Amino acid sequence: MLHHLFGYEAKRKRCLRKAPPGVLKEFLSIPFPDIGERVDAIPILAVDFETTGLSPAKDQILSIGHIGIENNEIRLASACHTVIQTCGDLAEENVVIHQITDDIKYQGESIRDAVEDLLQALAGKVMLVHFARIEKSFLEKACVQLYGMAPVFPIIDTLMIAKRRLDKRSVPYDPSELRLFTLRERYSLPRYNAHNALSDALATAELFFAEVGKMSGRNAPALKSVLL
Amino acid sequence: MEIELKEIRDFLAGIPPFDRLPMALVEKLTHETSIRYIRRGLPLPPDNVTQDRLYLIRKGALSLQSTQGNLLGKLSEGDICTIFCMHGDHDKFIIDVEEDTLVYTIPCDTLYDIVRDHPTVAAFIQKTASQRLKDAVSSMMNEAALTSPLMHTSTQELMNSPVVSVVAGTSIYDAARSMADNGISSLMITDNGKAVGIITNSDILQRCVAARLSTDAPIDTIMTSKMLSVTSDSSAYDTLMIMTRKHIHHLPVIDDGQLNGIITVTDLIRQEGRNSAYLSSAIRKADSIDALIEHSRTIPQLQLQLVKMGGTSEHVGKGITAITTAITSRLIELAEAEIGPAPLPYAWVVAGSQARREQTSHSDQDNGLIISDALSDNERPWFEALAKYVCDGLDACGYVYCPGNVMATNPKWRQTESVWKNYFKTWINEPDPKALMHSSIFFDLRTIHGDKSLLRRIRKQMLQQTSRSTLFLAHLTTNAMKQRPPLGFFRDFVLIHDGEHNDTLDLKHNGLAPIVDLARIYALTEGINTVNTAKRLKLAAGTASLSKEGAANLLDALIFIGTLRTQHQAKQIINGVDIDNFMSPIEISRLEREHLKDAFKVIQTMQTTLERRL
Repeated sequence: MLHHLFGYEAKRKRCLRKAPPGVLKEFLSIPFPDIGERVDAIPILAVDFETTGLSPAKDQILSIGHIGIENNEIRLASACHTVIQTCGDLAEENVVIHQITDDIKYQGESIRDAVEDLLQALAGKVMLVHFARIEKSFLEKACVQLYGMAPVFPIIDTLMIAKRRLDKRSVPYDPSELRLFTLRERYSLPRYNAHNALSDALATAELFFAEVGKMSGRNAPALKSVLL
Repeated sequence: MEIELKEIRDFLAGIPPFDRLPMALVEKLTHETSIRYIRRGLPLPPDNVTQDRLYLIRKGALSLQSTQGNLLGKLSEGDICTIFCMHGDHDKFIIDVEEDTLVYTIPCDTLYDIVRDHPTVAAFIQKTASQRLKDAVSSMMNEAALTSPLMHTSTQELMNSPVVSVVAGTSIYDAARSMADNGISSLMITDNGKAVGIITNSDILQRCVAARLSTDAPIDTIMTSKMLSVTSDSSAYDTLMIMTRKHIHHLPVIDDGQLNGIITVTDLIRQEGRNSAYLSSAIRKADSIDALIEHSRTIPQLQLQLVKMGGTSEHVGKGITAITTAITSRLIELAEAEIGPAPLPYAWVVAGSQARREQTSHSDQDNGLIISDALSDNERPWFEALAKYVCDGLDACGYVYCPGNVMATNPKWRQTESVWKNYFKTWINEPDPKALMHSSIFFDLRTIHGDKSLLRRIRKQMLQQTSRSTLFLAHLTTNAMKQRPPLGFFRDFVLIHDGEHNDTLDLKHNGLAPIVDLARIYALTEGINTVNTAKRLKLAAGTASLSKEGAANLLDALIFIGTLRTQHQAKQIINGVDIDNFMSPIEISRLEREHLKDAFKVIQTMQTTLERRL
């Protein structure tokens, strides 16, 4: 009952009333999956951003990768990778990590086009990320700049799922154990090229499958038990 | 396709049959791929998937079982699971997801659409491992045929003409007389100029003499009238293949009903410079051990010749074994000339690969002596002297002393018929797993010189006992299961690590020995007397021990692995290095690997089937 008032569906309806016409309003007009549904039955979009830094106030999104999960399977046909035309030159350390050079960047899309593509893909779905703070805060900031308001995003965070599991044990653990790469290794998942937004989104999606697999009995858990 | 998915694309591109596709199509396939994660114990295909799909294992492990519970194979990383691409076959299999498994999956309809211009790719997917292996064996034979000189020779060039013939109604005596006068081993029977039948030496022996038929009877009563024939323009290779396949040694050459010639196996193999027929006749004439040593040096060249001629492992095995047998027989004759004639009937028996006619030029000696029960202590020294002469001679000819001391020089294996019968009785009735491991070689015995009835009686009694002794068969089976085919071949290439042969695959122990063991168990269970592995499988096919299909699959596996081995050894002979059974991964082509894997799966399936009967 409570989540009708305070849950994200309630928030979505409140945001919908305030949203300006356009992509944001369309995004908000589609209901999110019910939190009582099992996670293997809902549509999910695995998302990853590469950014110039960790602070949404100072830093910018460099690229967005996303890939859809439907009927409990990752559809490679839905894979999408967008490089964004940011302002200013790129710092060398970023180029090294993300392999996005200024030349590639100038061929990229505007932040508005990239965000609108993402919102269209995300409508009616739960967003799946690893370490939600980055994607959530950068996306909210981008929406505020573009539409004057931040909508609501139901999010599943594979890092938080792993953290909850590790916290339950009494043994201390090193925070590095929560890294995407390390967790995937723990679940014997294949090695992918890291620090590319689409590769990382795919890597996150597979990690989520493995985490859910370890989590429950025969049936997959309900959305509410993994929601951030 | 997004370039970020290239890791998945590269993975797909490395898996047969997709390795034969152009990259653009692999990218299309990648685009249509979905990724699923199947938890251990959950079903595959997943409950909500109803369409036919191909599954590729990215991580994890599956086992494939028949609905009767027989293990059909195991699949792991890099393996392709095609069974859900075959319409209507789904309910014949059960998949057991043994580990949490990450799979790439493509709907079959989409897949066939993408590869429609590459029929071999679709065909690969639609075939089972055993079907693919069968294809590989037949193309191996075709390929070998192309390199054979017989391919470029017509039957006409090699046939015997004019043909010696008699008219129908001639007596058997007169026909035999005609064969003897002309020094030929077969004779045509004509009626009004048309060939109506053929008779050979062995027909006269088996159908007349052994059947106590009067030699005055007309030849028509024992001739073979439904005979195969070839035309004079057919290639000599095809003629040889017909003979090999039908196990016949003589073929009439008939054009438009007119008998123009006759061709024999000897005519055909005489074409090859260094052939076994020539070598064995030279060996029979050798008058000293030194001469035999000289001839034995050419055995590797003979093996090379047989491989080049298009011979499969079966041809090579028979050819090399014939030479070893000729050398042994000649040594015995030389020994008898030196130490005097045998005081008693005896049999020189050989064991293991020589008995099975599966030798390659890299063999040690395994032999023994069965002596008549009339043996007294006075006569023992003669047999000891014989054994020493022959075994030393064999060693000098390159057949090194048996490391397990299975030789006639060992008093234990130089015994009378009764003692041998007791050996078998003990092995069968009081089986001890360890002792059985060392004695299994004696269940493959063959007489190559002397009185064949000695071994025949021993084996007759032995086979009556083995088929009844379940405990013995159980122990034999347990021992046979110790040599498993290396199914992880692809993933980690099961390699042996013993220094010299580091990082290689042992084709003999990992591939051939398990098939030889299986065939022996089928034969001993069913009371089949033959010892050759291929023959054992053929005779056991359709019995309670072995299905016809299982036999056919094992035969394909035997020929494939065996021929891979003889080809590997042929290369070593060319390079002038000692031959062995160890193949390094780089020597094996990708496609051969895939077929080898199929062969290993066949072996594993048959091992598991046998094991479940225990």
